[in-house]
Formats: sequence, C-alpha cells, structure tokens
Amino acid sequence: MDRPTAALLAALVSLWVLMASGPLVSAEPLRVLSWGGAYERAQREALFTPFTEQSGIEIEVARYAGGLDELRRAVTTGESPWDVIDMTRSEAMAACDEGLLQPLPPGLPVPAPDGTSAERDFIPGAIGACALTHTLFATVVAYRLDAFPGRRPSRIADLFDQQRFPGPRALQRTPAVNLEWALLASGVPRQELYRLLSTPRGLNLAFERLNKLDTIHWWEEGEAPVELLAHGQVVMASGYNGRFFDAMVQRGAPIEILWDGQVQEHETWVVPRHARHTQTARDFIRFATSTERLAALARRIPYGPARESAAVRVGRHPVSGVDMRLHIPTHPLNAEHAITKDEAWYARTLTRINDYFAAWLEARGDTFPAPAGPSAAASEDSAGDTSRHPTPDDPMTP
Amino acid sequence: MLRFLGLVVLGATVGGVAALFAAGFVRGVLWLNEILLISPRSRMMFAWPEWLTLTTVIVPALGGLIVGHLHQLLPERRPHTPTDAIAAVQTRRGRLPLKAGAVSAFTALLSLGAGASVGQYGPLVHLGASLGSLGARVLRLSRSDDNITIACGVAAAIATAFNAPLAGIVFAHEVVLRHYALRAFAPVAAAALVGHVIATQALAQGALFHVAETVVPQAWEFALFVAIGGLGALLAGGYMHAILGVGRFARQLPLRPALQPALAGALLGVAALWVPDILGMGQETLRFATIAGAFGSGELLLVLGLKVAATALCLGMGFSGGVFSPALVVGMLFGALCGTLTASLTGISQETFVFYAVCGMVAVTAPVIGAPLTSLLIVFELTGNYALTTAALASVTLASPIAAQLFGRSLFDIQLRERGLDLSSGRDQALLMDTRVSDYLTQECVSLSPGASLDEAIVGIARQHHAEAYLVDDRGHFHGCVTLADLEAARQEESPPRQARECLDMTRPILSPDTTLWAAMALLEKVSGEALAVVDDGVFCGVVYEVTIAHAYLDQSDTLRREEHGHG
Repeated sequence: MDRPTAALLAALVSLWVLMASGPLVSAEPLRVLSWGGAYERAQREALFTPFTEQSGIEIEVARYAGGLDELRRAVTTGESPWDVIDMTRSEAMAACDEGLLQPLPPGLPVPAPDGTSAERDFIPGAIGACALTHTLFATVVAYRLDAFPGRRPSRIADLFDQQRFPGPRALQRTPAVNLEWALLASGVPRQELYRLLSTPRGLNLAFERLNKLDTIHWWEEGEAPVELLAHGQVVMASGYNGRFFDAMVQRGAPIEILWDGQVQEHETWVVPRHARHTQTARDFIRFATSTERLAALARRIPYGPARESAAVRVGRHPVSGVDMRLHIPTHPLNAEHAITKDEAWYARTLTRINDYFAAWLEARGDTFPAPAGPSAAASEDSAGDTSRHPTPDDPMTP
Repeated sequence: MLRFLGLVVLGATVGGVAALFAAGFVRGVLWLNEILLISPRSRMMFAWPEWLTLTTVIVPALGGLIVGHLHQLLPERRPHTPTDAIAAVQTRRGRLPLKAGAVSAFTALLSLGAGASVGQYGPLVHLGASLGSLGARVLRLSRSDDNITIACGVAAAIATAFNAPLAGIVFAHEVVLRHYALRAFAPVAAAALVGHVIATQALAQGALFHVAETVVPQAWEFALFVAIGGLGALLAGGYMHAILGVGRFARQLPLRPALQPALAGALLGVAALWVPDILGMGQETLRFATIAGAFGSGELLLVLGLKVAATALCLGMGFSGGVFSPALVVGMLFGALCGTLTASLTGISQETFVFYAVCGMVAVTAPVIGAPLTSLLIVFELTGNYALTTAALASVTLASPIAAQLFGRSLFDIQLRERGLDLSSGRDQALLMDTRVSDYLTQECVSLSPGASLDEAIVGIARQHHAEAYLVDDRGHFHGCVTLADLEAARQEESPPRQARECLDMTRPILSPDTTLWAAMALLEKVSGEALAVVDDGVFCGVVYEVTIAHAYLDQSDTLRREEHGHG
C-alpha cells in the first residue's frame, strides 16, 4: 500500500470516528516548538505544509531559543504545551536523563528509498533513546572579503592571528567553540581537544590564546555576528553557518565562511513528556526524517541531513538556484577539519566551564553585554517567544 | 616453498590474533581509565569533584595491591616483559610460558588502568610474543620457526598499537630477532600488515601524536638536535638506572613483595594530587610537551623529574608495565625543555618547537629500547613529516651509540646481563653461554679404580682404544685423569710407581655439569686431550669429549647461519 492510499484510508477512518464518536482528537493541531527565523521558514516549506497536506493535521509553531527551563516547568504541571520539540542533542541528552522526554520507539524512522535500514542510513549516534537527529548544524568563522587585501584566512589559527589578519573579532559569549578553537590554534589535533580541555593546563592554554585577541565583540543572539560582519564592525566573526549563508547568498553580504575548525552539532526531534498527541508527534517525526523531506529541508537551509541517502539528494535551492551541497557543513570539502562537539562532555561540565569562562571574562574586563547570571531570571519573561536571549546555560541557537 | 608459504600464512594469522588482543588491551586500558577516574576527561566529567582526592590515592594503591598478589602466582614472582621474549629468542629456547604471558598481560592491564606510571607497549610486545610462541607450540614447529612466530606477534602488536606497520617490522628485527633474514621477513611483514589493517578498522583512536608543522628548521638547529641526542642519552641512562636502582632497593625493603606495588601506587597517587601529569601513561602530557608555552621551564623540569621518579617507583616496586610510554613522556619533556631554553637564549621564534620535543623523545626512547631505527620509523609513520624525521635522525645518531657505550644496548640487555645472559657479544656467544656441558655428557670412557696398577691401567685403556682413563673410586668420587702416554713413560722409569693414581695429569681441568659450553671452549684453548671430566660435588658424572664440544659449536653456528642467512 503506498502512502497516499494510506493517508486516504486514515482520513476515511477519521471521518468515520468523527461521525461515530463526536469531537475528533486528531483534528486538533500538532504543536511544534522550533527556532524561528529563516530556519522556521525552511521547515514550514519542507516539512510542516507537506505534513498537513498529507495527513490533514494542522501544525502550530511556537518559537524558543533553546533551554530546558520551560520544559521542566511544563513537565511538573503534568501538561506539555508542545507535542514535538526541535532540540540540540546536548540538551536532549540532559532532558532525557532528567525524564523530561518520552523514549522514542525502536524502528521509528523509515528506511531509505533503496531499502537501506534507518540504522545504517543515519549517521552514527543519530538515533538516541529520546532524540532522533535530523540535521547537523555548524558554528563556523566567517570573515569580510574586503578586510585582508591579498590574503585570506585559511586555518582557524588565523582567527587568533591579528598580525596577519588585523581587525576586531566577534565571538559567541560562551566557552563552547571558543575554547576548542583556541586549542586547535595551538596545534592540538581535533581528536584530543576535550581530553586536553579536561586539564587545568589545557584550559589555561586556551584562555591564554583567547587573551591575545585585543578586541572581542561578544555576541549572544544568532543574528548579531552576521550584522556585525555585514556592517563592517568586525572583520571576523563566529556564527551559525545557516545564517552566514543567508547573508551571503540571499542578501549578497561580502562575507565568506572559513570551514576549517567548524564545530558540528546534532539537531534532534524529541517528544516531551505529557505531550497531548504522542502518536501524531511520532508520525510527524517519521515523516520529517524521511530521506525526501530531509533533502527538501537541506535544499532550503544549508544544514547537513542526518541520513546518507538524503545527503546525496541535496540539490539546488528552489528559488535562488544555488547548489546547496557546497554550503552544508557535512559536505566532504567543508567537513575535512570539522570538530564534532563532545556533547556528553559539555552536558557534565558546563557549569564548571561556564564559571571559569565568567571568571576569565571578568579578569579581562569584558563583561559586556550582560553578566552571566543564572538562567532562571532571564527565562521569567520568555515563555516560548523569540525575544528571549539565550543564557550561558543554553547557548546553542542554530 | 610450500613450507615457507605456510609460515607466511601462520605469521599473518598470529599477527591477526595478536592485533586483536592488542586492540582489546588498548581499549581495555582506556575503559579502565575512564571508569577509575584516571583520565582527565573522566575526572572533569565526574559529578563529585571533591571525591577525586580520595580516588586519586586509592585507585593506584588498590590496583597495586591486586597486581602484587597476582604476581605471586608466577614462579619468578615478577611480571614477564619483552626482556623474557628477547631472551627466549636469543638463546633459542623459544617457548614462552602461556601462564606467565597471560598473568603479566592482565596485571599490566590493571596497572595501566589504575593509573600506574608505566607503559603499555612492553606488555603488548610480550603478549604478542606469547601468542606467537603459543601458535608455534600448537603446530609443533621447530625452534627457528618458533622464533619467527614470536617476532610476528611482536610486530603485529607494535603495528596495531602505534598503527605503524613499518615500525612493527623493524622493531621485531631490531630488538627481538636481532638479525635480518628473508625467511623471517616475509611472515613478520605479513603479521605487521594484518595488525595495521586491524588497527585502522578496530581502533579508531587518533595516532599518538599528530604533527602538522610545515616549517623547516634552520641549518644550525641540526647541530642542536645532535647535542640533544647526546644529552638525551645521559638522561636515558639515568632513567634506566633509576628503574633498576629502585628494583634493587625494593628487594631489601622490609615489606612483602606482594604489598610493594600498593605502596608505590599510594605514593604515586599522593604526588599526583599536586602534579597530575605523572599519572598513567601521560598522553595529555605528551601532547602539551609539543606545544610551546604549555609549560614553563621550571614546570618542565619538575614534571620531568617526577615522571622519572614515578616510573622508577612503579616499575621497581612491582607494577607490571613497559618502559616505553614513560620514556616518550620524559623524552618529550626533555626536548621541550631544550626548546624553551634555546628560544630564551637565542630569541628565535618557537615555530620549530615541536622539532626539539621530538628530538628529545627519540634521544631518550631509542637508547631505552635499543632501537634507533624503530624510533625513527615511529616518528615518520605517525607524523608523515620528513623534516621532523631528519631532525630525529640527527638526534638519534649520537644518542644510541653514547648510551650503548655507557650503559648497554638497551634496558632489556642490562636486565638480562643482571640475570646472567650477556648479549653484548652477539647471539652465538649468548647461545654457547646458555648451553650446559651436561647436555653433551657421556659415560663412554675408561674409568679405573685409583688403586689399579700401571699394567692394569695400560691394558684397560688400550683394550678400549682410548688414550686416557679417569680414576673413580667405589663411592664414585673422582680422583683424576691418567693418559696412556704418561703411564707408558712412568713404566719405563727406573723405579716405576705401583699405582695409576701416582701418574695423574695435573694440568687437566675438570668441569661441573653447570659449566657452559662457552667456558668449556675457553678451557680447550689451554689443554689438549681427549675429553674433560665432569664432576659434580666430587662425584664423577662422565666426560665430555673435546670433539663433541667442537661439534656442538659448529652445529650451533650452522643452525644460526641457516636461520639468519637462509631464505626459505
């Protein structure tokens, strides 16, 4: 039985249920929590609208900027305002450990079109107990094309080389990524980063390297580094590859991505505890992680699909016609020197590392723009909207 | 031809098995280091950091306690090391005991897992050698083939652990076989290749040190690298003698040997509270030593000294493990110290810092394991950097000969010399020194009562077509040797002696059953005669004919020649 027939049958059954038993449960919309902006636009085109077309179930989207506080509160009330959440894997791991998420049933994702099983088709580590990775996003360095006449940065070490590449930098106001890059620039191979960052000597080495940068604009909001670069306030900035792509290709900003040292992270789908429509949520995840849908998403925003079969189907952007394959982090040319973020390490050490980072920032005198306060105060006013700034505890905003 | 091909296939099989064990061993150590809170990553991720002080002392101490008691199961009450494999091959005794191999490998796993400052490559080499020997024993192969399968296991272990097949092949030849024969080369190469393939598949771990430097040192810096080699040789000597010295000291210590590793572990743990760099194999320290500015010079000196002390303590007091990994760390730190001093004296940029670190590393490791070529190849295969390898060559050029002159070919050789096996004059002498005359003993000789008359003696000797006889009394005691010529001469005298015992040949030396063939050969240079009597505590055991000794020597030489120069 092919899928349209199944959908038709399901619709007929629902109709019958509706007529037989009054109000229909699945007629209620599926409530998805995601990240907003260009990312949500791409998801709407590639996932949400096709899902509604196929199943007849509307999708209602709420926005957030990462973080688990809202979810924790929701779970204690016994009522989750969302059915599906788009979450970074490090947070998903922590949430799963805390029992905030429902375990996903085995065999949830569909096989590849050629019959390859999902276990072999997904990248290693994608299928977790509570979370299913759908894409990989990257934090990268981008630079202004007009900033360094006659030369271009080619290694992550160039980020720290203000003699050859003079000018101010913009970095994310988190220890993550910056520490990795600082050690990488000291000649540490990427396989050994987290082992060495686990020693006081390694942390000191990384902070010393960061200290050698004379001006750092610290950013928190994902859009900020793009603006700082586009307006020429800095010459190099770290940021999310999708947003830099957007500025480069859609808006024609004179910037270029340096793929060396990109830090890759998994973005997953999870079902929170006490979700009202668990089964529909799972149906949606199954639909949204099919080869075809993942490829369709990657054609709209350059994040790497988590399945091999989808990665080879990524083609050109449906509107601009840009070959998206060259812009996704997992493309072999881009991924040659990629760092895979050790999410388990961060999940366990984040508080301590954040403390070191805050102390270092203070010693450096760089407390702008806001002190690294506890996240509870910041999240008071931010129930599921885009206005909220991420706090150091939940820094990942793809 | 078929037999030779069979040997190659056997080599590959031994290599495969040894590589799987090696890969399992390496992973086992990493796993133990994670769960026992030895690795920095696990310490950082541990949820209750305030407990780390306690675990840092207790884990090595408890590890030492278990290791110490397990070693009591072995007849020598000490772990077996590559030294035993070398002795087995060099003396053609072959056969490595399986039990000792298994216990030593297991205690090494525990020692490394519990954070003792010991190496992992020594145990891997011995494990590979034991597996190779087991293969030969199962198939009932000859001694020569046994040596080859041992070398195969060694090569595969090194090829897997370092992911460096060429280094594995050369190490097996340079350290274990100590000769080069095509007959051995093919199986050893096959084993290393299989090990390499398994390493790339099963051990997805990063190499020991990646170096991605593209700079080339200036010409004058090569002179410094040579000098680092010379100084490194002295440091290597200090390192080796520290290990041996603590071993000697431990034997006089009024503490049961089974408990000594626990004491060493506790001391190590206490020291590691202040300087955690000395704990375990020290792979993080190794990496930091290649980075300019990661250590200050004072810190380098401190960690260097403590690492030598910690390793000597752990190995000398009975932890099981190798000497190579700590030597890597010590050498790297030493090289880093040289690099830092050079930079502060000359003011050059620190772009070539890693060259100094690597030069220091080979200068210390090559003398310790007695393998300059292997050390070079490890640098080359792990870094793929030719400039770095030439710098290492400059360093090792001076390091190896200086250390060999002053201390001995390697720590293994020094240990064997202390156990009475001197390999410094080559394998043939070692073989002869390891063979006892009792193996060539015969009773086929003329023995006479000391009271026999001259005539009786002469007739007795002549009847059996000999030229000499041995005087043995009723209780079997040996009185001396008489020759037919002497007896005849005495009979022609004016007042001939009445008894044979009055004509003893006083110049004739006697042997004990334990006399080595080498010593017997030396005696033969001074006397001429038919045979030498072998006497054990005054009791006559028999004789060894001089012809037999000569034949034995020729036989040994012939076997060695065939083993070392044959090609199939």
